[in-house]
This record gives sequence, structure tokens and C-alpha cells, in this order.
Amino acid sequence: MSVTGLLFSGRSSCMRAGAAISRKAHRTAAVFSLLVLSALAILAMSGAAQAQQGVPNAVPPEGSYSGSHVPQPIEFPHDIHVEDNGINCMYCHTYARRSKVAGIPPVSKCMGCHMVIATDKERVQKLTEYWENREPPPWKKVHDVPDFVHFTHEKHLKRFVFDNEELPVERVQEVCAFCHGDVKSMTVAEKVKPLTMGFCQRCHQANDGPFDCWKCHK
Amino acid sequence: MNLKMKRRDFLKVMGWTGAGVAVAACDRPSYITHREGRNHVVSYVMPEEYAIPGTGVWYASTCGQCPATCGVHARVREGRVLKLEGNPDSPLNKGKLCAMGQAALQTHYNPDRITRPRKRQGAGFVDIGWDEAMRLLEERVGPNSGIDGSRFAWLTDSVNGHQAVLVDALMENIGSSSHYVYEAVNDAVWRAVCRDMLGEENPRLAIDKARAILTIGADFLGTRGAPVPNSTLYAEFRSAPRGVLLAAESKMSVTGANADLWVPVRPGAEGVFALGVANVLATSHGRDISSLPNDVQRQIRANDVKHVSDVTGASEEHIRRIAALLHERAPSLVLAGASAEGQEHGYDNVAAAMTLNLILGNVGRTIESTAGFPFEMLRPRSGSGRGLADLAQALREKRHDVLFIKGANPVFTAPAGMGFRELLANVPFKVAFSMFEDETTQLADLVLPLYSHLEDWGTHVPVAQPERMFIAVQQPVMAPLYPETRGFGDLMIDMLRMRGDADYAGYEDYYAYLHHAFVALPASLKGGAPNDTAFWNGVLQKGQLELGTAAPARLAASAVSFEVSAPAADDRPVLLPTASPTLWDGRHANVPWLQELPDAISKAVWDSWAEMHPSTARRLGGVETGDVLRISSDQGSLEVRAYVYKGMHPGAIAIPVGQGHESYGRYAQGRGVNPYAILADVRDRKTGELAHSATRVDVSLVRKASNGHHLGTGMDRLVVMGGSETQVGRKLVVTVTADRFERTEGRRA
Repeated sequence: MSVTGLLFSGRSSCMRAGAAISRKAHRTAAVFSLLVLSALAILAMSGAAQAQQGVPNAVPPEGSYSGSHVPQPIEFPHDIHVEDNGINCMYCHTYARRSKVAGIPPVSKCMGCHMVIATDKERVQKLTEYWENREPPPWKKVHDVPDFVHFTHEKHLKRFVFDNEELPVERVQEVCAFCHGDVKSMTVAEKVKPLTMGFCQRCHQANDGPFDCWKCHK
Repeated sequence: MNLKMKRRDFLKVMGWTGAGVAVAACDRPSYITHREGRNHVVSYVMPEEYAIPGTGVWYASTCGQCPATCGVHARVREGRVLKLEGNPDSPLNKGKLCAMGQAALQTHYNPDRITRPRKRQGAGFVDIGWDEAMRLLEERVGPNSGIDGSRFAWLTDSVNGHQAVLVDALMENIGSSSHYVYEAVNDAVWRAVCRDMLGEENPRLAIDKARAILTIGADFLGTRGAPVPNSTLYAEFRSAPRGVLLAAESKMSVTGANADLWVPVRPGAEGVFALGVANVLATSHGRDISSLPNDVQRQIRANDVKHVSDVTGASEEHIRRIAALLHERAPSLVLAGASAEGQEHGYDNVAAAMTLNLILGNVGRTIESTAGFPFEMLRPRSGSGRGLADLAQALREKRHDVLFIKGANPVFTAPAGMGFRELLANVPFKVAFSMFEDETTQLADLVLPLYSHLEDWGTHVPVAQPERMFIAVQQPVMAPLYPETRGFGDLMIDMLRMRGDADYAGYEDYYAYLHHAFVALPASLKGGAPNDTAFWNGVLQKGQLELGTAAPARLAASAVSFEVSAPAADDRPVLLPTASPTLWDGRHANVPWLQELPDAISKAVWDSWAEMHPSTARRLGGVETGDVLRISSDQGSLEVRAYVYKGMHPGAIAIPVGQGHESYGRYAQGRGVNPYAILADVRDRKTGELAHSATRVDVSLVRKASNGHHLGTGMDRLVVMGGSETQVGRKLVVTVTADRFERTEGRRA
């Protein structure tokens, strides 16, 4: 298990009332939930948005990669969640817009729906088992860049989604697809983009991104 | 074929080829991008409300790298502490943190930490569980062990706050009064002089209020007292109007290197030097010495400038200039330490320096009372060499059956002449509370692995309270790395409960005890917090409890009699074991960041060296930096590379302490030499403190540096990062006189 990836659960039980200094903390979760809910509502109303071609004000990066299938502890179906049920990427990967990492959803978020939805499915029962044992599933990392690369989801979403007035937030998956491919048609994620420095550089060049070495290598 | 290529074309081609190679390389995936599915990414089960993966959360706590108790902020990401900075709210360090503090991360994540309890089996250890460890403790010190309280003893480094309260409580419960507090790097002689002459052991040094400071060996920016708080005060001292810093010492320290005037003084003659300055103050500047004891007056009169110059090696002009500056620039401050303290007459040296403060009227102006701290039982039990000397005597007389050891590593830092390693065998049951297998822990019978400072709870009280008094709070900034380690406070509570102490029966652990201690404080100290939870969270958020300003108290200055003597005539140089603000007394030798940090004076890394004056080097037959020397005392000898430097008195040779570990993990072991290992067991006559700067040594050249290279890299060399020590006649750094600077700045016509 990678050291940096290890999030321990239940910090509060060992650390008690270890109160944090709220620098950058306490971003209002409530505002975000509202936003996601409204995004879901808009998405449900306008299926037409899906039909548009290409992300406006953006040149998608070029390049492809043929990644191997990574077996996960639970064969999580992205397709059912995104394609069939129209759930926004950021509903689960909620940290993408506020942090350098997109974050794997906490088990509690999965259980928010799966307490009642599809409880007869084997995969959901396996998830419930993890939940009852208070353990996170040991997900395997599929997309990664070396430690000397400072990649931040937050800045990329700001540029392509939130500062991009022509792209409604419900189409965020098209921006995610720049680097992660068409995840909505996959079950578990597979790596289909090279994520090499050349891949990043060409996109930065085409989209007028910062080009200083230290922007990424710091 | 006539292939002609101009230099410019060649460069063009090279440039494009290079760029081509670089661009092509950008598309080659690194091995990390290939590693799909090799690493885990683990989610929260329940998200923390304020934790965003990838974004740091800052916690306030207290540094434990030296006894200064500076406040820190720790950045934590994904449950891991990644960075430490100074806590800007701390009235002590005001947001600053030194290299040792920054490097606490590497102490915490050190791969050589002890992760499970161990017990002795023959020459080695076997891992055991906590159940067995507690059972062994109960057998020896439990309520049914039949232990006679006087046979039980504690050996600790400086402890304070609630940890000290618990140590005291355990001693009281067992019926022992033997708590030996030992620090190899200490200012115990200074404290004794302060107690006798000022009525307080730890007065506050108002460095910022002085207009001139004379330090006689006290490295207050490096290892003396609390270096970071001192440095923040020093910054104020140096800002306009700029204070003058004068240093008189045998080996240039970090403080000495910052001085406006640095004067080398023969080691052991520091007291004579102070008397010489006093003599000039009395004879040339009309300072009144009539209120001093008669024998002190006699000594001041007897030590005229010429005599003092002969004894100390300082020039008459320098002594006069120092006296004149101290006289003109009131208030001033005179400090003494290191080689001034570490003599048989160390007390007398320091008392002579303190007498200067009396003559100059500094007491109450730059030396202030710290009386008024309301929690006497939390005050630091500051370590001294006397603590170890007393323990050695007790061990010699076989007075203890059980010895608990925490924080101190005397097997490494005791002077060889004491024979401490052998003495330790006189205790049948030694328990080490330790994070690492250091030389002392290695000799223990039971080893109890502790949390790091970043995993544990605690409270800390600085030795000298700043004007805004406070209690520093230490909280865990992350969950323990190793499940089989324990907090020191938790262990104390467990032991007290095991002993059946009713006062502590109600506390589940140290956290519960600390929490109770804070919420039980009177409302006047709670700053108007609406309830206990808000108060406690506020304390944790700030990392401290502020106690306001004490009512001003006066120090009762009174001169004492002392008898300064000149060092005995001896051609052999004095060995000065010098502490550094990186490895300290050797406790940080297992921290790679501090090993690779160049020494402030020699710029050497990962090694030991013997600093000597060029004239000493010449006398030894032309020794150059990098040559291997043998340094012998009547206690033993060691081989170490020379570092030739002008910032030394020719009568001294200095070896930094901290290296030469036999154990203590992969980064510390087998590196450099330990000067303590050849020190004689000399004591200060008045205080009984260990006199570290009173061992004479013979020095001889073993071999020249290989390949004729004196500096540089390689296994057989002294690695010095600084290159050249001089400008070799070139004007690399432009200098102007102070007078001309004032004119060009328009401050003077």
C-alpha cells in the first residue's frame, strides 16, 4: 500500500478533538451539494446538451494509450452510473474542483444511495460488507503521474469548466475525458491517454496554458 | 569532402538536436506512469468535514527537538504530516523555526524507530507485546513488588509541563526522591550564578533591549538557551538603532561569526578577561565598583589590561574598546557560556561576567525577572551535568535497583572519565522509554517504544517565560505510524493506575488527564470562552494557552565572592567539544537533513573534524585541512581530520559533538568521532557541574590528505561545502567603513 495513498479512517477516534486551523478548510459542503443537485436537475431536463460536439474554447489533447485492465476489489460500473443514470462526475469525485486530486468517493457516499438502491446486486453487497466493517475498499490506482509532477485537477476544471461560460457544468465529463478518456462507457477505469510530459505540453501549447517548468515541477 | 562547420553552425545543430532529444523524451512514459494498478488509492470511510484530499490542513503543536518549546504549525495531508513551520501566535518563536525543528519530520518518519517493546535476552533483545512489558514493569515496580522507594530512580532529559507532573507523581507514589535530570548541552553554571547573584535561576535575557552585547563564549544564536526565540530578539537588537555585538571566545561560534568584534580568548581565561574589562570600566570610565565584595574589588584592580592581555591572548586595545563600547552603549548585556562554564573554575568565570552586568547596571534593564508564572508545578526541570554526576555516584554506591531512562543518552554523552557504561551495569533493571536504539537504550533491560512528538500529547513551559506568559500545547498531528508504540503520558497514567494511585484512577489516558487539567482551570484563564469545548478547541487551534502578562517583579541583584584563576601553564591545547544547532548533543545525528546541513563555521557535512588555528597547524609540522590527526588525552585517543581556521584560539582545538555513534540507526552509526569519549571527568569546583572544556590533549599528524586534495568529495576526504575560506586578495565582497557608509547614506556630513 503506498504511503501517500493511505488515508486512515477514523482520525477523530485516535486524535479526539484535534481541532484544525481552518486555512482553506471548511469550504461549504452545503453549497456544493446544492450545486450538484441543481446540475443533476438541469441534466435531466436538457438531454439536448449531450448532442453538442466538442468542448467550446478548448483544444483536446492528442494522443492515446492502450492501458491494461486493472482488476479492482469491486468491478465498479462507471457506465451504469454515468451513461444510464446521468450522474455528474463531480458528484462522486467531489474533490476535483477544490483540490489537486479528484478523490475517490468516501464509502459513506456510495452507501447514501446503495442503502436502498440495487441492494440485490453482488457488487453492492460486497460494498455493503466493506461499509459494515468500516473499511475502505482497497482500490487500485489507474491514473498517476510521478511525484515530481504537480498536477492539479482544480486549476484544469477552473480553466475548462467554471471559467468557460460556454460549457455548462453538466458536460464536465467531456473535459474529464481529455485525460481520462470516455470513462462513461467503461466499467472500471482504464488508462487510455498517455499522461506523458509531451501529452501535457502539447495541450498546454494548444490551449495557451502556462509553459514555465516550475508550473508543474515544483 | 571538405566539411566546414563554423562554431555558430555547430552550436545551432547541437541546440536543435538537444531540443529534439528533449521533445522526444517528453513522450516517453516514466516507469511511474506505467504502473497502473501497482499502488492503492484508499478513500475515507466517512469523510472528515474539513479534510480535502490533496489539500493540507494545518494543526498547531509544540516542537520537541530541543528544550526550547517553540510553537509549530504542521501541515497534514491525507493523514500524513508533510511540513512544519513556526507558529506565528507563539510569543516565544513568533512564527520562526530552526533547522532542527523543520527536520522533526525525519525524526518522526525515521526508518530506525523502535516499533515494538523489547526485553533483554542475553546480549540482545527480543520483541515482546505490551501485555508482557506491563507485566515485567508490575513485577519490578508494581504495588506487590515490594520495591523500596529509595531504590527507584528516574533519569530524564529536561522535562516540563504535565509530563513532569506525572513523573513527580510516579516518584511520589513509589516513594522515591531520585530524579536525575541530565542535559549534555546545558547552561547550568550560568543558572547557578543567576540564582546566587540575581535570586532567580532563569531570568529573561532582553536581547532586544540591549544596545551592546558582550558574549564570553555563550552561543545564544546557536545552542545556548532557546536559539530561535533568541534569534528573533537578536533581529530586533540589530535593527535601527543597530546594537553592537562583541564576542570573546576560544572557538568562533555562530554568535561569534555574527559579531562586530570577535576576540579570541585562551580557554579557561574567560573570567580573567571579564575582570580586565571590569578594570577598564573602573579605571578609565569611572564605573563604581565600591559596592562589590572586597575580594572582587581586589581582583578587578589586580587584573590590569596588560596582565589580562598576557593571560588571555586578547590585545590591550580590544579589551579597552570592548569596555568603552559597553560603557557608552547602556543598557548592555554580558553573557557567558561554553568554555567559560566548562572549567574547574567555571562558576567563577561566569560570576565575573555577571559582575560586569552589575557594574554596568544591566540587571533589571536587559536581565529581567520571570517571576509570576502561576503554575509552579509545570516549570521545567532543566537538565544539568550535575544530574549525571550525582547519578554516577549513586550507581557507584549501588543505590538503585530500578532506573527509568527517558530522553537522555549518557552512555554517548558522558565524559569517558566517568565510566558511565560500566556504572550502568550496577542497576539490575533499566527501563528505556525511547524512540530509537541509542547507546543507552541498548543497555536497557526493557525498552518501551514511544510516540514521536508529532504523535503525542503534552504541555510545555519555556525555561524563561516571555513577557506574554503561556503554556505551549502539543497535540498529535497524525495518527501513530506504528500501532505498537505508546505515548509517554499514556504510559505514566498506566503506571500510576497500576500502582493503584487513586488520583489518576479516573483517567483513561493522558488525553483525558490533559483535557481535564485544562477545562478545570478557573474561568479567568479561559478568555471568555462560552463553554469548555470552545475553550479546549481554542487552545488546540492556537497550540497554547495564553496567561497574560505578569506583574513586573524586580531582581534582587547582589554580588558574590569568587576567585578567578588563570589557566595553568600547559603547552598542550585544550579540547573543546562544541555543540551545534544541527546535531545538538548528538540526538539529531540520525536525521539526514541535519547531517547534510553544512556546519555554520567549517561548512563540513556528514563528518567530524578538529578545528585548529593556522599557527597550531604550523607547529604540528604543517598540518592542512583534510589531514588526519590523532588526538589523545589520558582517557583515550581518536583520529579525525583537521580543519584549519583562524577563528580559533591557538591554545584550543575544537571537535563538534554529535557524531561517532556506535548505534542509533543507519544514518548515525559509524560516522565521525565522539569527543566525549576522550574527555576527563573534571567538575566545576563550586557547582559540581561537568567541566567539558578542561581536558588537555596531545595532537599529532597521522597522515596527509590523499591525492593532495584537501577539500572536495570522496570517501577519504573531509567534505567541506564552502570551498575557499578567504577572498584570496580579490575584492569579491565589497566593504566600506562604517564612517563612509554613514556619509554616503547622507546621515552625516
